[in-house]
Amino acid sequence: MTAGYRAEHDELRQLVRGFLREKSPGHEVRRLIEADRNRDDAVWAQMADQLGLPGIVVPTAHGGAGYGPAELGIVLAEMGRVLLVAPYFATVALAGQALATSGDEEAQERWLPGIADGSLTATLAVAEGSGSWDLGEVTVSAEPAGGHWNVSGTKLFVVDGHSADLLLVVARAPDGLGVFGVERDAPDVERAKLDTLDMTRELASVILRGAPAVRVGAGQDAMAWLSLVGDLALAALAAEQIGGAARCLELSVEYAKVREQFGRPIGSFQAIKHKCASMLLEVECGQSAVYHASVALGEGQPDASIAATLAYAYCSRAFTHAAKECIQIHGGIGYTWEHDAHLYLRRAKSSELLFGPPARQRARLAELAGI
Amino acid sequence: MTLPHAATSGADPDQAFRAGLRQFLAEHHPGRRPNDPGERLAWTKAWLATLFDNGYAGPGWPREFGGMDLSFAQQVIYHEEVARARVPGPPGTGVGIAAPTIIRYGTREQKQRWLAPMLRGDKVWAQGYSEPEAGSDLPSLRTTARRDGAEYIVSGQKIWTSHAADADVFFTLVRTGTQESRQRGITYLVIDAHAPGVQVRPLRDLTGGHQFAEVFFDDVRVPVGNRIGEENDGWRLARTSLGHERTAGAMSQAEMYRRVLTELEELARERGLLADPLVRDQFVDLEIRVGIIRYKAQAAIGDILAKGEAGPVSSISRLLITAFEQDIHEFALDLLGPVGLLGKSAPQAVQRSRWLHGFLRTRASTIGAGTREIQLNTVAEQVLGLPHEPGMPAR
Repeated sequence: MTAGYRAEHDELRQLVRGFLREKSPGHEVRRLIEADRNRDDAVWAQMADQLGLPGIVVPTAHGGAGYGPAELGIVLAEMGRVLLVAPYFATVALAGQALATSGDEEAQERWLPGIADGSLTATLAVAEGSGSWDLGEVTVSAEPAGGHWNVSGTKLFVVDGHSADLLLVVARAPDGLGVFGVERDAPDVERAKLDTLDMTRELASVILRGAPAVRVGAGQDAMAWLSLVGDLALAALAAEQIGGAARCLELSVEYAKVREQFGRPIGSFQAIKHKCASMLLEVECGQSAVYHASVALGEGQPDASIAATLAYAYCSRAFTHAAKECIQIHGGIGYTWEHDAHLYLRRAKSSELLFGPPARQRARLAELAGI
Repeated sequence: MTLPHAATSGADPDQAFRAGLRQFLAEHHPGRRPNDPGERLAWTKAWLATLFDNGYAGPGWPREFGGMDLSFAQQVIYHEEVARARVPGPPGTGVGIAAPTIIRYGTREQKQRWLAPMLRGDKVWAQGYSEPEAGSDLPSLRTTARRDGAEYIVSGQKIWTSHAADADVFFTLVRTGTQESRQRGITYLVIDAHAPGVQVRPLRDLTGGHQFAEVFFDDVRVPVGNRIGEENDGWRLARTSLGHERTAGAMSQAEMYRRVLTELEELARERGLLADPLVRDQFVDLEIRVGIIRYKAQAAIGDILAKGEAGPVSSISRLLITAFEQDIHEFALDLLGPVGLLGKSAPQAVQRSRWLHGFLRTRASTIGAGTREIQLNTVAEQVLGLPHEPGMPAR
């Protein structure tokens, strides 16, 4: 049996919430979008220097806090609430967790301290043309070239891939799948931002033409390792999603209390009440699913894959539903560019599809559950 | 630098308790459930007496009334083991609903008079709250209790009373104030089901069965000593949180739904239906929901273990469970097609028509004990703080 509550988690949540309330208000999110930036440099530095957030899952031996998926989930939920524009998910949830679980001391020593102190951003490039994170679809190749490797092919939908200092590229080597680190100054790499729905999260294409790379986690069973990394990413994204959903609910409730029609607050009408109560139900369920998944992953429980896939499938729907209901409850004002509701809808739908079509995720859950 | 793990059950005394209980349940197991309703009641009562007489009844109850006074963690274990052993639970709603109220608000004399016989199964208690004109709007109830010396004289009608035919005692809400006083004029009264003027009329429900009854009170004389709490204070008593005992059973309930889903998956596999991606997708939906029902049970239990109280949204579990119950049975019918429509006496019926019966029976899930709509209102107002509907009377 897993206990559902730790006082330290409340403290962490309050700490991050307070920081982001000040550093990432709606107008800041807008400013970064307009400026086509994926972070505010000063805020990123403060996140590292004052709160140590980029190092949350980095082992203490490499300058991090040594926490696990549960604590990362709490941080991401807070970032999801405010639609923080920053390469945090890519750097920490994707690349950071991949390196932390790689068992590769050399790679860890090379990159994790930079992630922890905020000086290095990173990402993990898996998807290609179809956008799927199914490892069977990887065609990018890696060839040994003396002391290093050359990586060739095209990755798509790379989260923060345009700006990341380190690209961890999943590619096919002669001995099977592997992960290859391509650094910022490597030649023969062409990166481009993609025009995509969610303006708060940058996606990029990365074309590699024999780019020099370092192999990461060579001693690992790559399939097992990358499955774990995938599960960690699902749980992390689910956490971010449910934070966004919770904020959509709050915005809806706040508005329903003050907006009057027919001489009374619209929140006194049952039709609106039931929408809000149903959203709360989904937010609560999603939070439980995220918590369970992150604890299961942190403790290496046998049902961790199921729990992560379940959490992501549930939170995907919950967030998109909440974002749509938020617009509906706001009525006309919710349809305007100036209102934040559409930013949440964009984030929600993009997160729902980020790792491939939802039906594929659900089919995977069926397999894992033995159906 | 890792956070310490929060306390979980599983310490040695808990393991020893589990082993002892498991052994007891195996050695004294009452065997198969009789089909005849009368025999079944006697069988259930005999089992409850066995539990009581051996000190294995009332996990959360004080010892002086025959309970075990277990820690919350051990209450969870108790419910897990009892569910695992598939032994009958108490008949009626007394143990679950009336007893916590009596333990909290009853006089010493009332506790001694009522609790042990209820727990031992000697007396079956049934709830009399709803009335024909007071369903979701319970504060408008009209069954009156008029004071006459040391007695109340009760007249009126209750409906949707489950276990009424077997009941020895009704715990009721009755009107002692004016009709206009609504919830401020309601009293919690315990009425002997065998008293003169009490009439039980079984009510045939949409399943064709007799799960519920109407109960008529015609000038029934009830001693004032049967009143729990003060006159006109019954509404508060009935609405007070009933303690954590039900939460302790949440985990075994969640495991029960897990089992039902696995059974349906096995049925679908036997019938070759799992290759259909649409069928698989619907199973995935139920898998997600049954998983979340379990997580919510764990979270509620974890909250109580860590903080001593359930979270403010514990009512959410009920909304989840009732919708799940309805959907899984309807999905089973859809899977079976016309075969799903066969009643249990049809030789071709699948699994004695359990899914069809469940489809019909669970229509009540989102009505009884507060309709889904009222529960959503309550969540919206009490958890989210949305404004009260102006046309509705104040709470």
